[in-house]
Amino acid sequence: MWKDYSADFIKNNRSASLSVRLPAFISALLLSLLCGLFYNAWKYEVERIKLEEGGWQSRMTGELNDEQIEAIKNFATVKNIVINDTGTDIYFDHYRDVLSDTPRIARLAGILPEKVEYHYQLLSMYLIRGGEDAAPRLIFPMFLLITALASLSLIIIIHNSFAVSMNERIRQFGIFSSIGATPGQIRICLFQEAAVLCTVPILAGNLLGIGGSMGLVGLSNILLENQIPGRHKAIPGYHPLVLAPALLITVITIWISVWLPARKLSRLTPLEAIKNTGELELKRKKKSGISALLFGVEGELAANALKAQSRSLRTASLALIFSFLAFTVMQCFFTISGISTRETYFEKYQDAWDIMVTLKDTDIDGFEKTKEIQELPGVESAVVYQKATAKRKITEEEISEEMKAFGGFSHAPAHDAARIQEGWLVNAPIIILDDVSFSDYCRQIGIQPQLDGAVIRNQIRDVTNPDFRHPKFVPYLKGENISSAVMETGNENTAEIPVLAYTGEAPVLREEYATLDYYELVHFIPVSLWKELKEQIGGMEKDTSIRILGKKNAALEELNTIQNEIHERIGSEYTVEYENRIQDYETNNKQIQGMKVVLGSFCVLLGIIGAGNVFSNTLGFAGQRKREFARYLSVGMTPEEIRKMFCIEALVLAIRPILWAFPLAVIAVGYMLKISYLAAGEFLAEAPFFSITVFILAIFGAVALAYYFAWKSVGRINLTEVLKDDSMM
Amino acid sequence: MEILKCEEVKKVYGAGSNQVAALNGVDLSVSKGEFVAVVGASGSGKSTLLHILGSVDKPTSGTVIVDGTDLSKLNPTQAAIFRRRKVGLVYQFYNLIPTLTVKKNILLPLALDKRKPNKDYFEKIVTSLGISDKLEALPGQLSGGQQQRAAIARSLIYRPALFLADEPTGNLDQKNSKEIIDMLKLSNRSLEQTVLLITHDEKVALEAERIITIEDGRIIRDERRR
Repeated sequence: MWKDYSADFIKNNRSASLSVRLPAFISALLLSLLCGLFYNAWKYEVERIKLEEGGWQSRMTGELNDEQIEAIKNFATVKNIVINDTGTDIYFDHYRDVLSDTPRIARLAGILPEKVEYHYQLLSMYLIRGGEDAAPRLIFPMFLLITALASLSLIIIIHNSFAVSMNERIRQFGIFSSIGATPGQIRICLFQEAAVLCTVPILAGNLLGIGGSMGLVGLSNILLENQIPGRHKAIPGYHPLVLAPALLITVITIWISVWLPARKLSRLTPLEAIKNTGELELKRKKKSGISALLFGVEGELAANALKAQSRSLRTASLALIFSFLAFTVMQCFFTISGISTRETYFEKYQDAWDIMVTLKDTDIDGFEKTKEIQELPGVESAVVYQKATAKRKITEEEISEEMKAFGGFSHAPAHDAARIQEGWLVNAPIIILDDVSFSDYCRQIGIQPQLDGAVIRNQIRDVTNPDFRHPKFVPYLKGENISSAVMETGNENTAEIPVLAYTGEAPVLREEYATLDYYELVHFIPVSLWKELKEQIGGMEKDTSIRILGKKNAALEELNTIQNEIHERIGSEYTVEYENRIQDYETNNKQIQGMKVVLGSFCVLLGIIGAGNVFSNTLGFAGQRKREFARYLSVGMTPEEIRKMFCIEALVLAIRPILWAFPLAVIAVGYMLKISYLAAGEFLAEAPFFSITVFILAIFGAVALAYYFAWKSVGRINLTEVLKDDSMM
Repeated sequence: MEILKCEEVKKVYGAGSNQVAALNGVDLSVSKGEFVAVVGASGSGKSTLLHILGSVDKPTSGTVIVDGTDLSKLNPTQAAIFRRRKVGLVYQFYNLIPTLTVKKNILLPLALDKRKPNKDYFEKIVTSLGISDKLEALPGQLSGGQQQRAAIARSLIYRPALFLADEPTGNLDQKNSKEIIDMLKLSNRSLEQTVLLITHDEKVALEAERIITIEDGRIIRDERRR
């Protein structure tokens, strides 16, 4: 009987069936796609770990004798062993035996426990965690979290579709109940119906999801091939064991989605259910002032209909509000962040560096390739420099009047400026430049080049002005002393350095001064002088840097050529790392694009949830709306007027999330502008109006499409047929 | 033999200042095979009484015993099974499932219990109700009178202890009304069916052997006519 009833319902209510089948298909597709992608990500990670670090599971470090090797080899669960420079790598038949059997093997072979190592990174990929592994292995928890979130989102979408489809027949279930159907029988009927409706979509969605995940992995190979040279290529794959959890997650998601409304419906008393006409009702009178004012009686009716549906449209409204808000704020955030990064980093350093070379564990005074690099074709300027830490005492008399005006050291934290008997002890970083560059720097600031003294950056930021984008600098010291007593950090060793000049101008390097410690007093000295001082002051950083500036507006290819030339000259002698400004810029852009795609997808997912709800609601309510419209027709409303009302409803539904989210977005953007000290005009000139407009249009389009389909379903009303319906009590 | 007994039955809707007492201490006893009409003005509480007797609704206080079962102690599942087996309910608006044929509608209470119908009894009902040629039709293809006959057939298929009808002729013309009442009388006599009929139609009420009048949720008159 249930079969007959449900079969008839499914056969005769194709739109309601479609509104259940479609979300079930989408859920299955997304969850299967997600599981497939995670499986491929897991597979890729395992392959990568095995390629980079080897596929061993545990290891005995150091050399082993033949007896020990034989003992390991003969252990029952060991599949294979490989002896190499680091030790003996053990491969087990099953990963589950690694943690329990490795200590046994060690005991058996007489190997000390401290010589045992585990490949925790690889083991964690099989959910095997050792007690000593402190590293956070987040891949699986992340997978579970994302899958749970996806399932939850999908439950929100499809439970509403089921609820709408079920609510259409509340009265019929009331009749069933009145003649003796138990709540359990009603629930079973609804579950059977859902099973019939969803089986094919679930299977089809899962299969398509598997194909989709493999296709996406293939696509990522193509896209990343040129971006990341030497990247290990992912081999798209699928394991039958993944299908089982994918199907299980889909079925659970859909089961919960059915169970939620089915439980509610089966709990209704027959009286409540029979009295339910399924029509949209308002619990109490509500004002529809604006809609009535703008669109007349159609506007009032549309507003009332939306208010009557407010509960079922709540998910849709919230999802659309949050998606629009999140999308707008995200777009604005990236625009502000982009402007900020460009101004504070790329534009600021555009003429400061093109290539940065880091010579690992190298001291500047021992580097002999400076001249060769400076004379390379295409190199406009090359500065070799190293940094050293030092301290300097500053007396009250030395402090400039301007600095005193904003409070001197009164704002300084103790770790930046320690109070001492003579005054204050501050950091005095030393930047050691190669002699040629130091001479150039002297010329740059307008003094006679000399290699026996220091140039002091005599500038301090007005710390009382927090606007980092427009800082105000004042002279730090009066600049009257002809020498500077620089001390070794943590020691009393002092070196008296002649001061060649006090200046506000720093050499052109990719360095920032006094940004973290506002009170540091930077000294620039030539390497010749440093050779004399290094024993007294020390404090050198480990690496030496070379700042290369190419020709103006040099292209990436030209910079690559210079980089290759440098590498040819120093690559074999030194451990070198390179940074390329244009490459950095492009990488930074790609990272931002990647983040935009990830966060944008989240916003789009929210948008899909909202639009999906609008679809399920409008299509699911088609039957009830027919009766509602029949009433309007019966009192003399024309079909055109009803269509107008329908259009107003769609318009209000689409515009409402935007109106709600817009002020919140403005507040959020205003706050971001405030904390980034960016002018509103500067932001507005680059504001992401286009993408936001496209998103708004997408919301409008989705809502319009949902209402178009619904109108096609309810638009052709046979008045006599609808009014004959016995539920028109 | 007493088939129905109500003691101090009260039903209150709403809460606080919005409370409305639909039934205000109803005591009632009906014997097996009686044909009782319950009359009263609109809002007097007669439909509420019928819903409580049919275990569609629960009393706020008091006891209702139908065929030995205390309805106030039933959980929703037990109440549903009780409705299925012990009570036949007929409404003014028929309440047939529009997507099932007349035959399937009639056999629905049995199908819910996974029971096969007694063919002779089924034939007897549909023939005496005059719908034997409409069994494969859908409810929407029948006239109001025919739909009500189908609803009555469905209520009788389980041979319920109590047949409850809420304004069964309220939506029918005079001719059909008379036929429906005749059928109820027939089932009352030939099947010894206890019938409790709610009506505001005096003519219909006069067909019953006992007329109970309700006003403001209380029985104000209980008149046996023969």
